[in-house]
Amino acid sequence: MRDLYQRLAIPPEANEQAIQHAVASCQHSALRQDAEAIFSVAERREAYDTLHDTVSDIGKLRARLGLSHGAHWQGDVANDFSLPPDHAISRHDELVDRVSHAVSLYNRWRRLRGPWLLIAVFATGAGIGIGLGLALCWGLLPV
Amino acid sequence: MSIARFSPFELLLLKSRSQVDTATLLLLAWVLVHRQHVSEGQRRRRLAQVTAQFRHGHELGPVMSIAHSQDLQAIQLAAEVVRKECGKERSLSVIHQAITVATDDGELSLANHYILRFFADLLSVAPTTLNTLFKELTGTPLASPEDPSRDTYWQIHDPDYHARKARDAAAAEQQQQQANARAEQQQREKEQRHHQKQQKQQEKQQEKQRRQEEARQAREQAQQRQQEQERQRQRQREQAEREQQRSRQQDSQQQRSSYQEERRNNHSRQQRASPPPPDRTTRALSILGLNPGATRIEVRHAYRRMAQLHHPDRYYSESEQQVALASARFQRIKNAYDYLMQTY
Repeated sequence: MRDLYQRLAIPPEANEQAIQHAVASCQHSALRQDAEAIFSVAERREAYDTLHDTVSDIGKLRARLGLSHGAHWQGDVANDFSLPPDHAISRHDELVDRVSHAVSLYNRWRRLRGPWLLIAVFATGAGIGIGLGLALCWGLLPV
Repeated sequence: MSIARFSPFELLLLKSRSQVDTATLLLLAWVLVHRQHVSEGQRRRRLAQVTAQFRHGHELGPVMSIAHSQDLQAIQLAAEVVRKECGKERSLSVIHQAITVATDDGELSLANHYILRFFADLLSVAPTTLNTLFKELTGTPLASPEDPSRDTYWQIHDPDYHARKARDAAAAEQQQQQANARAEQQQREKEQRHHQKQQKQQEKQQEKQRRQEEARQAREQAQQRQQEQERQRQRQREQAEREQQRSRQQDSQQQRSSYQEERRNNHSRQQRASPPPPDRTTRALSILGLNPGATRIEVRHAYRRMAQLHHPDRYYSESEQQVALASARFQRIKNAYDYLMQTY
């Protein structure tokens, strides 16, 4: 499995015309023959694209998990679909971080629920009082 | 500080009674999604069958939908969890389950070839172990995946490959034939035009010849007339001379004889000097390796041969001195040729 898009230097979402142009201007005759056989027929290109997506997903996963030099990842596939190692934080650690953050927020809420409720009641009461007073003023003034 | 929402799989994992089981479930669902010629119901049943002993405690539906959406982050999270939690035995059993889910009769889809190998690398299972496990489970050895990026793959797997190729070839041939027919027609038209032109030229030439003949006849007549006139004049002159000579003959006889002799001598010397070609021509010919008396065509051929032999570019790979020598030789040959072309 080779990455024909990479080898022809075109993006995988390239349109028909760009692909034809790239195939025609390809110097490598064997590669050109293969590319013609696949890109000239719509069903073949579709089948190739699905597999291409899956394998590039695996390439990404391997890069993120540090598996881009595995015993089962060799030859053309490894050459074409390996990405540079990714130093992003692992998803599991990120999940643990987010859970602990959520837990701390929840705990704070639980702790501060009483005072915050009191404050909220006072605030709503004051708001209602001020509103009523203003309405009364507006009603009395014209008279 | 606000935090991003938890993704469906993260929530599932948090709710799960056993995180490893949920993660394995997602990986197996991912394999199942890439299995071909299987309906959705069959997939669910197969997954439920294989994971009957799991203790996750939630529905399989959401896991399948996550696997269908190809959520790369969820799969990465599942892979991390599995890698972190699985010991040697457990990882072998995960591979075992993945193979069971991926194939019934040893026929793996291409995507699953790569996914299974990814799992093996993830759980650090050696290729030989994977091969034996696969053979035990399916009865067929694990072949290397076929390559749909090659023409030969489609020769085998596309049933109407040859029909399509024949159709393409026929279309190309038809086009070629059309082009040929067009070219032939053009050629015919060209020939016709050419023929017409030739006829016109012939007519013109005939006309010219006629005119030339007429002119020649007129010239001949004029010449005849002139000759007659001249003959008359000559006769008159001869008569006059004869009379003069008779008067002068006796006193000038000696003088005239000496003068005639001198003239004859001069003439013979001139004739001797002209036939041998000038010295420079011979030298030029010898530079080109030819004997005196070579024709113009021979000179040209000799020049071409010598120029190729002594061209400085031939000595480019050797020393600079060789190149300099060759260019001197080449210059000499060229000068000789130029001179010969001017004089010959």
